[in-house]
Amino acid sequence: MGKYFYIALTSIRSRLAYLAEVGSKTIFLFVVLYIFLCLWKVTYAETNQTSLGGLTLKQMLWYLVVTESIIMSLPTIATLVDQDVRTGALAMQLVRPMSYPLNMLAQTSGERVLSFALNFFVGSIIALIFVGPLDLTWSAVAMFLMLLPLSFALDFTIYFLIGLAAFWLEDTTGLTLIYSRMTMILGGMLIPLELFPEGWQQLLRVLPFSAIVYGPARAFVTGDWHLFLSVFLQQVVAIIVFTITIRIVYNLALRRVFSHGG
Amino acid sequence: MNGLTSYLKLAAAYIKINFKSLLAYRGAFISQMVAMFINDFVWIAFWCLFFTRFPVVKGWGVNDVITLWAIAASGFGLAHMFMGNALTLPGIIMRGELDSWLLYPRAVLPHLLLGRSSASSWGDALFGIVVYVIFVKPDLPHLLLFLALICSVAVLFVGFSVFTGSLAFFMGSADSVSVQLRIAMITFSTYPSPIFQGFVKILLFTLLPAMFVSHLPVSALRNMSMLDAFYSFAGAFCVLFAGILMFYLGLRRYESGNLMEMRG
Repeated sequence: MGKYFYIALTSIRSRLAYLAEVGSKTIFLFVVLYIFLCLWKVTYAETNQTSLGGLTLKQMLWYLVVTESIIMSLPTIATLVDQDVRTGALAMQLVRPMSYPLNMLAQTSGERVLSFALNFFVGSIIALIFVGPLDLTWSAVAMFLMLLPLSFALDFTIYFLIGLAAFWLEDTTGLTLIYSRMTMILGGMLIPLELFPEGWQQLLRVLPFSAIVYGPARAFVTGDWHLFLSVFLQQVVAIIVFTITIRIVYNLALRRVFSHGG
Repeated sequence: MNGLTSYLKLAAAYIKINFKSLLAYRGAFISQMVAMFINDFVWIAFWCLFFTRFPVVKGWGVNDVITLWAIAASGFGLAHMFMGNALTLPGIIMRGELDSWLLYPRAVLPHLLLGRSSASSWGDALFGIVVYVIFVKPDLPHLLLFLALICSVAVLFVGFSVFTGSLAFFMGSADSVSVQLRIAMITFSTYPSPIFQGFVKILLFTLLPAMFVSHLPVSALRNMSMLDAFYSFAGAFCVLFAGILMFYLGLRRYESGNLMEMRG
């Protein structure tokens, strides 16, 4: 596993060389968080409520800091796999003494960790300025730190599968876009699941989208043990299911790889 | 008058050629259109969910936000399906690719802007009109005013893209700044305007003129107010004028890239 750790580390180092470019994306984060602050401020005021979906205005903004940071830190996993398949670069990867899926996981995870850290740092400053510090508990931080890597891993498995679809489809950008938008809406990036219609909530809680976005963010702001346990279990089960699916699809896909010397 | 007719003929020819070149990659063109359609529809879904829970936000209901999205998407789409190079202006300036456009016996800016069509913008334009007709169900006067306001928003987006893109004449690498400003403008344009107050509201009437996309056109359609429609057009043409001024001021500083380029 050591080599994959070094791949992740190298990925972080190479992204650090372009820190200004990564940092420029945080301007958008500022705009989005400011707009959502205005929207929720008005909503809390008009409904005369101090808590909506179990969150105060302060918790709501911190919730959005986490969800936006998770979504905005996403590397272009599906596109990278798609390009490797389409250009034939995958054949070169296969002769290396390492697993292609794990190599891709290490490479994109390094990039994502750095991007998330930067987004979360900037988002936290914005939240501190506008609503002040969150009443954090150590247990909430610990839960969040356990759920976050699993969230990234689960997200990776799904994007990797979409990328592998390039073996059969002409273009995977449509699938990538549909999945990313479903994660945004059904994963609770924009509104917590508690504010969805009653009938939807049960279904959304068992779908993988909520385990990627809603779960870690809600655990961070509330420190709820029951939520943590259910999201943790959901993440582990989903990762196992998608990993097995990747194994099957990847083996099928490799039968379609033809390479010759040159 | 002859000059105007000549430019309209040029525009028609470019639109035809650009559309044909998009159709040459039919699969990619359709998939980009569909992708943009889905992307925009997700936001409509978000707002429908939001307004199911909170029916009114500072006097705005779900129909107002759908109208807002329809105008913004169609306006943005219309602008860049015909003048797609507005989106890539900073790159063109930065790489010294203006040379080939300077050689033509036509005004540089309109000719350059017409030179490309953005495939995904066709999806945006179509989405706005379809959503407005299906969800808002307008009568004929509302529909006509809506179509007119789309043109006003399109003028504004072209002007804003030219203004931000022309920063490349002064800053060198303005690609990232231009994209960030455009995204900020679009983002502010697609939320109910009454949630913004104070200094930000002033900013949205001036440097990031999102109020001419959101507040005024929606108000014009809600109240069938010709005055608000007039203000929308006036604001849009002011932004376009500022963009043109910025471009031609910047053009004086332009240095050739000595680039060999062939346009087919």
